[in-house]
Amino acid sequence: MSALLTQSRSRLARTSTYFRSLWSRREFAWYLAMGNLKARNASTALGLLWWVINPLLLGLVYYLVFGVIFESSRDLSYLLSGMFVFHFTSQAMTGGANSILQNSRLLANIKFPRLILPIANLIEAGVGFLASLVVLYAVAIPSGSADLNIHFLLILLIIPIHLFFNLGLSALTARLAVPFRDINNILPYINRLWLYLSPIIWPIEFMDRMSEPIQRVMLLNPMWSIVGVYRAALLGDPLEPGLLATSALIALGVGLFGIGTFIKYESRIVRHL
Amino acid sequence: MSRPAILVDNVSVRFRPYVDRKPTVRRSLARLRHRETTEVNALTDVSFSVTPGEAFGVIGRNGAGKSTLLRVLAGTLRPDDGKAVTNGTTSTLLQLGVGFNPELSGRRNVYLGGLAGGMRKADIESRFDDIVTYAGLEEAIERPVKTYSTGMFSRLAFSVGMALEPEILLLDEILSVGDESFRGKSMQAMRDLLDRSGTIVFVSHSLASVAQFCDRALWLEHGRVKQIGPAEEVVEAYQKAASK
Ligand SMILES: Nc1ncnc2c1ncn2[C@@H]1O[C@H](COP(=O)(O)OP(=O)(O)OP(=O)(O)O)[C@@H](O)[C@H]1O
Ligand SMILES: [Mg+2]
Repeated sequence: MSALLTQSRSRLARTSTYFRSLWSRREFAWYLAMGNLKARNASTALGLLWWVINPLLLGLVYYLVFGVIFESSRDLSYLLSGMFVFHFTSQAMTGGANSILQNSRLLANIKFPRLILPIANLIEAGVGFLASLVVLYAVAIPSGSADLNIHFLLILLIIPIHLFFNLGLSALTARLAVPFRDINNILPYINRLWLYLSPIIWPIEFMDRMSEPIQRVMLLNPMWSIVGVYRAALLGDPLEPGLLATSALIALGVGLFGIGTFIKYESRIVRHL
Repeated sequence: MSRPAILVDNVSVRFRPYVDRKPTVRRSLARLRHRETTEVNALTDVSFSVTPGEAFGVIGRNGAGKSTLLRVLAGTLRPDDGKAVTNGTTSTLLQLGVGFNPELSGRRNVYLGGLAGGMRKADIESRFDDIVTYAGLEEAIERPVKTYSTGMFSRLAFSVGMALEPEILLLDEILSVGDESFRGKSMQAMRDLLDRSGTIVFVSHSLASVAQFCDRALWLEHGRVKQIGPAEEVVEAYQKAASK
């Protein structure tokens, strides 16, 4: 009993040391992310403008296909809000895998809490996400579909929830990609499937046409609640009861699981690079 | 006697790299369950200690395990057996320019490299001018680092590495570049470090500089300690064996 207590206490101590050293390295994470952001577009003619153009083009492509041709989602701001939220998560996943694989020199030479790399990747993708929110408002406000009300304050809750969720997934793919490079080949398909299974390119009303068991499975999709809360915050949609709590619980679970798995594995990373 | 700066006790490192044979469907399927691996004994039962103020050389043929040993000392590679303890802030100039992003300017890379090495942004800011002057790159500091010559790159990286003011410096084969004046400057910087009772572990294929610069040296062969002793003796023995 007391042995168990000592053991869990020493684990707690180790964890808190880890997060303290992570915190002391925050400037490094920030510079890494900003450096990558700058480097990415440094040699293109439009430079930083790409941060706004990319989501705009992405949204237009999907609007053309699903709004105009298939007429499955007429509402552009409904489509864009879902797309941008989902895109952030999918970027976190693909970027997380690459953040470890592409920094092998850094990992082999310098000792630091490895979680810095998925975090830097998250910061990088997060900047893109913020830029895409600007685009969203540029579309939604003139068309009158952004109903700015008290619900907007939800954004202060859902962004941290979303971030923690993304960090968990990003850490998980990073951990898996080290021994199984195959992840990089599979990830695009997983992301595509996930997108089609989420209420993004089709309207919520589609649900009514699905059979009961399928409906129940669909509600397990974390994107369901996360996107739902975002829509309430950004577009003033009604907030279904329980949606916020569900998203928070899912994010907590996924986040803790992903981060935990990653930290447990990180001392072995260098051997596999 | 003061406590050692570096204590390596029976360290062994084994790698299990995947074997790249001709892929067949059968092998691919088998690999899903159990990957084919060989075992490489990169280090076997290595023990030694280094005292503060000492310059310690490591020599040996390609693949002898020198870089692996430095990674263990830097703390990035956990040994399979034994342990390695360092007392002091370790700067890992294992390789030059770690953390640099070639697309970005020299200025930005000074920050990146410094932060990667564990400095705070405020410290880098206050030492920035010294770093650049020391590297002699005032003119080129706003240019992307990918436009630098090899020597310019190394000078900047070395300057940043020294600005970390390490107590233990791990150098893996990095002083072969740079022109004459900079080589003299970097040797001086390393002597200063030793005078402040810092410690240097120096991996090099340049036997002359090991013999001249280091107090003691370690000769690794196939991951095992072949000889440890005064640098000149070890280098001499190594040379004799190599010429045979
Ligand atoms: N990540 C790794 N996976 C598998 N094997 C590795 C790995 N890193 C090193 N090795 C092997 O360990 C052995 C020692 O390598 P190491 O890089 O330490 O040699 P070295 O003495 O630094 O050689 P050099 O003088 O060429 O730099 C080599 O056989 C090498 O192939
Ligand atoms: Mg080497």
